[in-house]
Amino acid sequence: MGYELQFFYVWQNLDKLGQGLLVSLELTGLANLIGLTAGFAIALMLRARMPVLRLPATALVELFRCTPVLIQVVWFFYCVPILFNLFVDPMVMGVLALGLNLAAFNAEGYRAAIQSVPREQYDACAALGLGGWSRVRHVVLPHALRAALPVLMTNGITIFQQSALVALVAIPDLMYEGKMLATETYRPIETYTVVAAIYFAISAPISLIVQRIEARFDRVQA
Amino acid sequence: MVQDKLLKIHNLHKSYGDLDIFKGLSLAMDRGDRLVIIGPSGGGKSTLLRIVMGLEDITGGDVYLDGKPYILRDGGKTKIDHKLQARVGMVFQHYTLFPHLDILRNLTLAPVKTRGIPRAEAKAMALLERFGLAAKARAYPSQLSGGQKQRVAIARALMLDPDLLLFDEVTSALDPELVAEVEAVMMELADHGMPMMIVTHDMHFARNIASRVVFAAGGVVVEDGPPEQVLDNPQVARTREFVERVFARKK
Ligand SMILES: Nc1ncnc2c1ncn2[C@@H]1O[C@H](COP(=O)(O)OP(=O)(O)OP(=O)(O)O)[C@@H](O)[C@H]1O
Ligand SMILES: [Mg+2]
Repeated sequence: MGYELQFFYVWQNLDKLGQGLLVSLELTGLANLIGLTAGFAIALMLRARMPVLRLPATALVELFRCTPVLIQVVWFFYCVPILFNLFVDPMVMGVLALGLNLAAFNAEGYRAAIQSVPREQYDACAALGLGGWSRVRHVVLPHALRAALPVLMTNGITIFQQSALVALVAIPDLMYEGKMLATETYRPIETYTVVAAIYFAISAPISLIVQRIEARFDRVQA
Repeated sequence: MVQDKLLKIHNLHKSYGDLDIFKGLSLAMDRGDRLVIIGPSGGGKSTLLRIVMGLEDITGGDVYLDGKPYILRDGGKTKIDHKLQARVGMVFQHYTLFPHLDILRNLTLAPVKTRGIPRAEAKAMALLERFGLAAKARAYPSQLSGGQKQRVAIARALMLDPDLLLFDEVTSALDPELVAEVEAVMMELADHGMPMMIVTHDMHFARNIASRVVFAAGGVVVEDGPPEQVLDNPQVARTREFVERVFARKK
């Protein structure tokens, strides 16, 4: 192969990629804000006895879990404005699509974590007269949050990577800026390699931290 | 004046679906009693303690504390008087400490949150001191041996000054060399006059700690008497059979 790698143009335009990265991080941060809070609310709805609460939550979770994220983003961007006559900033739509997707996955994580609180812990609470909000606040929640933390973090960085899909609807994120740069400089290999490296550099440490936490939980289980 | 029994179980019925666990079991204990309950595996010993603790629904009958009913059937439902239930404490086979709280917080959580007991920390430290665990006050449950965990669980139950303490096979999950330290704590409580209801498979310990031994099988009390009677000289054929089998297995 006679191709000669030249990173010069990429280095020269690193600031553009930096701006794109900021947009990606903003998307990720806001999506996580929605995902962590709405996800918990949806998890509580999933556990509710009343069908009026449970069924919509189930439908929402399954819809987001059983369709490609790519279609979700496109749908929010092209269909929601027409269907609901709602024209807002593309960024808002991106955050909504990613945030609700994350909420659906986090809800499942929260739900499993709440379920994983051992029955014995409830027995111990009852024997100690610990009930109601005290029990939720001091026993169930700490237990469930710990159990859910690795899943929530993993989902959180997954959405960082999925956020690259919004480039398709012209939100100037890292992927979008990378695409522009690749076209401008005729250096797609170098550009996309650097873009991939940036995604990796942000995700890998968090992934490692998750593994550490999981290993620690395994040791502490007793 | 005749003093009311500390605990009275009257005509207790309990079933899981088609499975009848108790078919009219009655049992009473005085303040000075340390009751050891023995019986076949799956016979309902744990279920009995869980009912007295208020952790299970019942199908019929009632349970009294100091002559006042606190578990009963009413309108097709199990009713539990939580004020009276709070005077009973329980220690479980698998410790059930709160893993995310240190030992001191394990002891103080319930007293502080539910009863607003003042100086709970001082009381907790005194209990830990008494059980030789003061150095572990800031440790987490995962850093303790099984024997230490179980002693913490006993201390935690004592924080609420129970009138009756239930023990469900509290040494069964322990390595053999750790059993003695937990049994020693229970013997100390016995010496202090703590009313206890104990389920154990350790017949030697049963003999040492019991003031009365109850053999329950087939959903009722089969034999009830001092340990010398029930363990060494059972009057009922069914008890004799069970005790002989248990002691034969030991040898
Ligand atoms: N939640 C439940 N649902 C259905 N059946 C149950 C439940 N809990 C207990 N049982 C059944 O009730 C019976 C009594 O159980 P229990 O645990 O009280 O017996 P046990 O005397 O403590 O036995 P062991 O000596 O093995 O501890 C068993 O047959 C058990 O399978
Ligand atoms: Mg049992």
